Amino acid sequence: MADYRIVDSVEALEEKLAEVKAAQRIFATFTQEQVDKIFLAAATAANMARLPLAKMAVEETGMGVVEDKVIKNNYAAEYIYNAYKDTKTCGVIEEDKAFGTKRIAEPIGVVAAVIPTTNPTSTAIFKTLICLKTRNGIIISPHPRAKKSTIAAAKLVLEAAVKAGAPEGIIGWIDVPSLEMTNLVMKEADIILATGGPGMVKAAYSSGKPALGVGAGNTPAIIDKSADILLAVNSIIHSKTFDNGMICASEQSVIVDKEIYDAVRAEFAARGCYFLKDDEKDKVRKTMIINGSLNAKIVGQKPVTIAALAGVEVPEETKVLIGEVESVDISEEFAHEKLSPVLAMYRSEDFEDALAKAEQLIADGGYGHTSSLYCNALTETDKISEFSARMKTCRILVNTPSSHGGIGDIYNFKLAPSLTLGCGSWGGNSVSENVGVKHLLNIKTVAERRENMLWFRAPEKVYIKKGCLPVALDELKNVMGKKKVFIVTDQFLYKNGYTKGITDKLDEMGIVHATFFDVAPDPTLACALEGVKQMRAFEPDCIIAVGGGSAMDAGKIMWVLYEHPDADFKDMAMRFMDIRKRVYTFPKMGEKAYFIAVPTSAGTGSEVTPFAVITDDEGIKYPLADYQLMPNMAIVDADMQMTAPRGLTSASGIDAMSHALEAYVSVMATDYTDGLALQAIKTIFDYLPTCYDDGNNQPFAREKMANAATLAGMAFANAFLGINHSLAHKLGAYHHIAHGIANALVLTHVMRFNAAEVPTKMGTFSQYDHPKTLRRYAEIAEYLGIGGADDNEKLEGLIAKLEELKEKIGIKKTIADYGVSEEDFLATLDEMSENAFDDQCTGANPRYPLISELKEIYRKAYYGE
Amino acid sequence: MEFDTSKMEVIAKRSNKVIYRCGDYTVKVFDKDFSKADILNEALNTARVEETGLPIAKVQQVTMIDGKWAIVYDYIEGTTLAELMEKNPDKLDEYLDLFVDLQLEIQSKRARLLNKLKDKMERKISETGLDATTRYELDARLAGMKKHVKICHGDFNPSNIIITPEGKAYVLDWSHVTQGNGAADAARTFLLFSLEGKTELADKYMKLYCKKSDTAMQYVQQWLPIVAASQSVKGKPEEREFLLKWVNVVEYQ
Repeated sequence: MADYRIVDSVEALEEKLAEVKAAQRIFATFTQEQVDKIFLAAATAANMARLPLAKMAVEETGMGVVEDKVIKNNYAAEYIYNAYKDTKTCGVIEEDKAFGTKRIAEPIGVVAAVIPTTNPTSTAIFKTLICLKTRNGIIISPHPRAKKSTIAAAKLVLEAAVKAGAPEGIIGWIDVPSLEMTNLVMKEADIILATGGPGMVKAAYSSGKPALGVGAGNTPAIIDKSADILLAVNSIIHSKTFDNGMICASEQSVIVDKEIYDAVRAEFAARGCYFLKDDEKDKVRKTMIINGSLNAKIVGQKPVTIAALAGVEVPEETKVLIGEVESVDISEEFAHEKLSPVLAMYRSEDFEDALAKAEQLIADGGYGHTSSLYCNALTETDKISEFSARMKTCRILVNTPSSHGGIGDIYNFKLAPSLTLGCGSWGGNSVSENVGVKHLLNIKTVAERRENMLWFRAPEKVYIKKGCLPVALDELKNVMGKKKVFIVTDQFLYKNGYTKGITDKLDEMGIVHATFFDVAPDPTLACALEGVKQMRAFEPDCIIAVGGGSAMDAGKIMWVLYEHPDADFKDMAMRFMDIRKRVYTFPKMGEKAYFIAVPTSAGTGSEVTPFAVITDDEGIKYPLADYQLMPNMAIVDADMQMTAPRGLTSASGIDAMSHALEAYVSVMATDYTDGLALQAIKTIFDYLPTCYDDGNNQPFAREKMANAATLAGMAFANAFLGINHSLAHKLGAYHHIAHGIANALVLTHVMRFNAAEVPTKMGTFSQYDHPKTLRRYAEIAEYLGIGGADDNEKLEGLIAKLEELKEKIGIKKTIADYGVSEEDFLATLDEMSENAFDDQCTGANPRYPLISELKEIYRKAYYGE
Repeated sequence: MEFDTSKMEVIAKRSNKVIYRCGDYTVKVFDKDFSKADILNEALNTARVEETGLPIAKVQQVTMIDGKWAIVYDYIEGTTLAELMEKNPDKLDEYLDLFVDLQLEIQSKRARLLNKLKDKMERKISETGLDATTRYELDARLAGMKKHVKICHGDFNPSNIIITPEGKAYVLDWSHVTQGNGAADAARTFLLFSLEGKTELADKYMKLYCKKSDTAMQYVQQWLPIVAASQSVKGKPEEREFLLKWVNVVEYQ
């Protein structure tokens, strides 16, 4: 460094900044091995120079104690090295291959470091070391009073670092400091590590660069009556005398419980502390504080020197000057931070009083810094909790000398070692912990695309085959040992003997049963509550829901209310984006009763789905979805469906078709649900017309349709639905059109909408990587043997086949055909479109719809365009 | 208007200027070595304050008299508040009340073209001749202060206030006026009282100002090292030791 140019002007500083920036650009390319070698060399050099640097600091500033500064220098070198020697700070520091994430550490650039007079060498060592470890350049702005020693420390670290391979000029400093130059450094740097008083910290924050500033401390120490007095008093003396009280975390006041006050006072006196007499207190007050500010002449001085300045005579070897005072107000000079071995002592009435005093002292000038409590940590955990809750400080120390304790790793080995103590927002800081290498890194997170885990869930038992019902029920007694069965059904089915097969079988097995047969279409909460009342009186261990969607849904709701009387449907029905990330945790089901579903139409699929819809007294529908609502057993017996009327056969058959179609194109479709959906679609095309035309005489077709509906149910129980159902739900609700019919009316319009190769917006789901729904519909067409020159033709072929099916089973073409007047339709259109958009089913649709687009679909479905 | 100093009554003599009365006017005649810029600045400052409508002695002319720069102001008939305080000690509270109200009225006004208090303090700190450490501390302290735009008289003390026989108060001498933090102006007034040895009055003033302006006392006190440093620039040698004691303090850390 033969051509070293003194930094004593703005021009010279600009040059130095450019030099450090250039050096840092090279340093940024260094490997962890290179960096660690430099870090070790620099720490070693600083450590070896601990004594000369300490002497130089005391000599230059006239403050503090050489022997204590040796400890600080030693600490800054050794503890910082030890804490971070194995920390990864270069390149990839963390990788998770399964999740596809990497964390990469990058340097920030050039750090502006403001170094205070109180720790001129140790802070310089600390800051240069953490900058070297993180591949940052650093420009130091020393305090004029301590510039020689700060620069000496920085120079020493620089030389050792360069010798170990660091770029020349990676550490720079201002030789002739002024606030103007400090401000310039802060403005030009990439981040600021400011240590100093509030003025400096404010200047740092106003520079417009991110700053890790620290503020003033005014540490109160409470000595509770449960404290070990010997430990407490001697810890405080040890801490308060350290470097003549210049550590910002040092105790400024001690608050002693009245019960032990005399004993504490005696111990302080016995250990060489001097209690100021009343007139002496006044003299010291006037000397310490001038117009509310701290007299520079007392900072870091010995007690005897301070006393002499005040015209008070105390023994030469006095350790601490103690003023016993009462007021914790800022107007009391002893209540201030004193940066010297002067301590205020308060008598507290009880713990509450002590807390109140400590709170005020912190408010006087120590927000965010440090507070200290001495008590029996084993028996007084409540007091520690209360203290921790009440103190607005970022370090809360228990039974610990606060000077040594606050900087970490000396009296507690998990508090990070640091000479820059963050004070949080209370102290106007961006960090609330002890500053370390992590604050000088930019961490990049590399996140590779991963696909969502999906699942396939179904009832544990699905029994199938025409005539299987009594065989399946046999298990209730022989395997499960059930004793009481509660049947839920509707009046029509009950009166027409649909439950008789079940009750006969139960009677035969000697299982007691009761039947609730008042389920109405679109079951209401009132109806469910009525059923639950009977259920509670009966206390079943098994529930069998027999019927279409309404009876099975009502059964599920009664099941929930029976098992969890306090359940709230509003919470359960809260809309979610991902069923596995939903806010609400559904209560666990099946603790009281086993749930069996027996469908009598083909079908809603409710026997195998985790869904149920309930309508409250005001007509608001709550769609519930959770796998807890999945029946334990489904019995799919075509005998139960043989005599279903034509209208029901048609509406529920086309509903099943829409389930299969939507599940197939859903963003959450999987190979597992695809197979089920395709098979269901094909079966419905093949057998629904027969069931519609001559169902009562076509047992084979009925069985095929029964299975198709359950297959479609399993598909959408796992892949979910889409906007076809969103639109149908609201159309049904606003214009009283049966659910299956409502689905049929929008079906082909939705398909064309979803098939768009240039959708306005596509669905958000990792697996859905590009608009591909046209291909998916074409796959269905191919499976059905529908030809076509391209996917568009295949789609049109599929649509034509669906239109043909609808016609065959007596479904009219338009919404208007179902008697909805144009006036009513248009009056509700906007609201209906908005609500359809907000329907739970919208989320899994492959094309994310705009509200206006849904409105257009409704319009087309109304006018048949 | 022609002025003949030999025919004018001398009201006051300062080290570098003489103040005369000439009928309805007060004429401030500056010594030859007085900075022209400072003189014109005083006239400009006063004119700017006039625009706020505050009760002050207005500038009527800036002229040369016998080769010397002079500013002609309205003459305000009356007694200074300082004299009244001296004469009627029993009315001190009443006078102090009026004094603080007047200062707060000034601070309620805005004149956005006036020089900035912070700039002036910064300049003064650099002119103190204090060592680098102390200047660094003062600069850091100043940098941390809030920037306001209140009119600050800069030399607000009872001798600069004239009470007319009708009881109306006029404020004189706007040569130090700036815009900035009102607490700094209060700190200056506190310092001026203290320099005169009127410690009790200073404390009383501080309390009353803080109460009326709803300001925390330490907020005003934080300015004391800075105003003391700036006062030491123009101050009398015998005041220097006192001022430096106020200056030599450190920020908490």
